[in-house]
Amino acid sequence: MTTSWKSKLRLRDLIGTSLISLRSRRGRTALTALGIAIGIASMVAVVGISASSRAALLTELDAFGTNLLQVQASSVGMTQEPLPIDAQPMLNRLADVSSASAVTTTGFEVHRTTHDASVVGITAVAVDPDLFETMKMSLVAGRWFDDGTRSLPVAVLGDVAAERIGITDLRGGPTVTIAGRQFVVVGLLDELPLHPDLARNVMIGDEAAVALLATKPNPSAIYLRVDLEGIDRTRPLLAATANPDLPTRVEVSRPSDLIEARAQVDQSLQRLLLALGGVALLVGGVGIANVMVISVLERRGEIGLRRALGATRGHIRSQFVLEAGVLSGLGGLLGVALGALITAIYARRQEWVVELPPLALIGGVAAALAIGMIAGLYPAAKAARLDPALAVSGGTG
Amino acid sequence: MSEAPVLHVERVEREYPGTPPIRALAGVDLAIEAGEMLAVVGPSGSGKSTLLNIMGTLDRPTAGRVMIEGVDTSTLSDRRLSGLRSARLGFVFQSFHLMEAVSALDNVATGLLYRGTSGRSRRAKATEALEKVGLGDRLSARPTKLSGGQRQRVAIARAIVAEPALVLADEPTGNLDTATGDGILELLHDLNRQGATIVVITHDSALASRMPRTVEIRDGLIQSDQLQVAVTA
Ligand SMILES: Nc1ncnc2c1ncn2[C@@H]1O[C@H](COP(=O)(O)OP(=O)(O)OP(=O)(O)O)[C@@H](O)[C@H]1O
Ligand SMILES: [Mg+2]
Repeated sequence: MTTSWKSKLRLRDLIGTSLISLRSRRGRTALTALGIAIGIASMVAVVGISASSRAALLTELDAFGTNLLQVQASSVGMTQEPLPIDAQPMLNRLADVSSASAVTTTGFEVHRTTHDASVVGITAVAVDPDLFETMKMSLVAGRWFDDGTRSLPVAVLGDVAAERIGITDLRGGPTVTIAGRQFVVVGLLDELPLHPDLARNVMIGDEAAVALLATKPNPSAIYLRVDLEGIDRTRPLLAATANPDLPTRVEVSRPSDLIEARAQVDQSLQRLLLALGGVALLVGGVGIANVMVISVLERRGEIGLRRALGATRGHIRSQFVLEAGVLSGLGGLLGVALGALITAIYARRQEWVVELPPLALIGGVAAALAIGMIAGLYPAAKAARLDPALAVSGGTG
Repeated sequence: MSEAPVLHVERVEREYPGTPPIRALAGVDLAIEAGEMLAVVGPSGSGKSTLLNIMGTLDRPTAGRVMIEGVDTSTLSDRRLSGLRSARLGFVFQSFHLMEAVSALDNVATGLLYRGTSGRSRRAKATEALEKVGLGDRLSARPTKLSGGQRQRVAIARAIVAEPALVLADEPTGNLDTATGDGILELLHDLNRQGATIVVITHDSALASRMPRTVEIRDGLIQSDQLQVAVTA
């Protein structure tokens, strides 16, 4: 006989029971869920935005390649000791180096016309035609140097230089003046995000520089493409190869390190923002605990009745934990949606591809559920401990 | 009858802590056989509700024991005790304790919720129970749309939907006017004639006088326990 004296509550009925009381207090449910939603939304947005930003950086990195190394003459005081003339062929001879292109400063400022001295900060550099390939450059207009034009008075403008000088297209054959000589602009370069220095330059052919401007052919910088596997092996050899007499006057750098450094900066900012989102979430959790405690007090009659109808303490506890969980789970869903929306809007503005890690979305809802259930534990325990005799005589309900 | 009584309260005492402690029950013996209908009467504060809560296992005695269908309830775990309430006991309270957010039907169906019965079968039995109490036409009404008497009928339907061995009603007519209260009492009599065992707490002696058996309680002790000679229904 007593074997049938066992309370059973089906899972779907437990869920249904929890939903009823949330449905019957809609306003309160919505406001409480909102607290959690704000926390989750900010965390999802932080993760989404930094993932999108990272994806954009990686795209940049991909386009650019991580196998580019820069060898530069280091400055001593105000003067730069240029590299030896044969630095480039020497470097090119290294086994893992696939291309080496030299850039030589001419020391001349560039002006729009012979009489105009207004354009400042734009200097001319002499380049090797290979540079285009080595740097994976691209043009927005015109063409780059070739063996035929490297000795002619023609120039290609970096995008910053073009903007400063005021040349936006090649119609009408624009010219620039370098050391009193006219150079015809034959090409405009696309952005060089990782090389702001180069973007600010007007480039002329290396042979033209020597012939027309009497530039000394010692390169000031050499850009190298190196086989990715050989990069760690090659890097320590570069300084001594470029300048065997004065290897300490040579600086070797890897431009892609800059991108990675940027990503690192992003990460520490991301951690800070995540922590702030976490605090918001915690506050939301406390809000849930608060509302649930009030709810338990208000619903003593209902709790007593359920005990009289056969609910065990465990059933009451589960009901309230689940109510808190559903409450914040709803907040979590709303928060994830909101966070995704914020990410999408922000990424669009930055012209990034929207990148939303699925783990952040699932994790957002799961975190909300967990926080809610933890917040519900104390009120649920209170509800389960209520003396049923007292609760039914409470006169409420 | 060779079978154990439905309910057997043996030398039950209940003391509420306090200074001095309140002795709500001072040694009560009471046996209720299947099919009985009895009233527990007494003045306010005499211990009626305390006794009902103890009979319904919502409260535990400080001394003595409560046997339900021969089982000593003090030996049962919370789970078994709750199971016992869900399977063998039905409660009716003065303040109805209905859930306002759900229909009469769903309120009654809650009486089977903790039996693990399926939703479909809960609703079918709840419909039957509501028909029994004369509310077959108000299945989907919210309690707020019902009169006091109708609400108590819903509560009674909920108490009998699991076909309990014993229905315990604490002042079921306390919130109702006399005519409505009489209707509720009539309903309880009907249910008793159909086999339900019912205990009704009341301090209305006119109401009590129409019961087959009346137990009078005073200061936590049974004063008298009388069978009515002639029962007029
Ligand atoms: N939870 C409690 N804590 C302390 N004392 C209580 C508690 N419940 C009841 N009492 C006391 O126990 C005694 C019996 O109370 P009980 O509620 O059983 O009386 P009753 O006969 O139901 O009265 P009424 O007709 O007014 O409902 C009273 O003195 C009451 O004050
Ligand atoms: Mg009472």
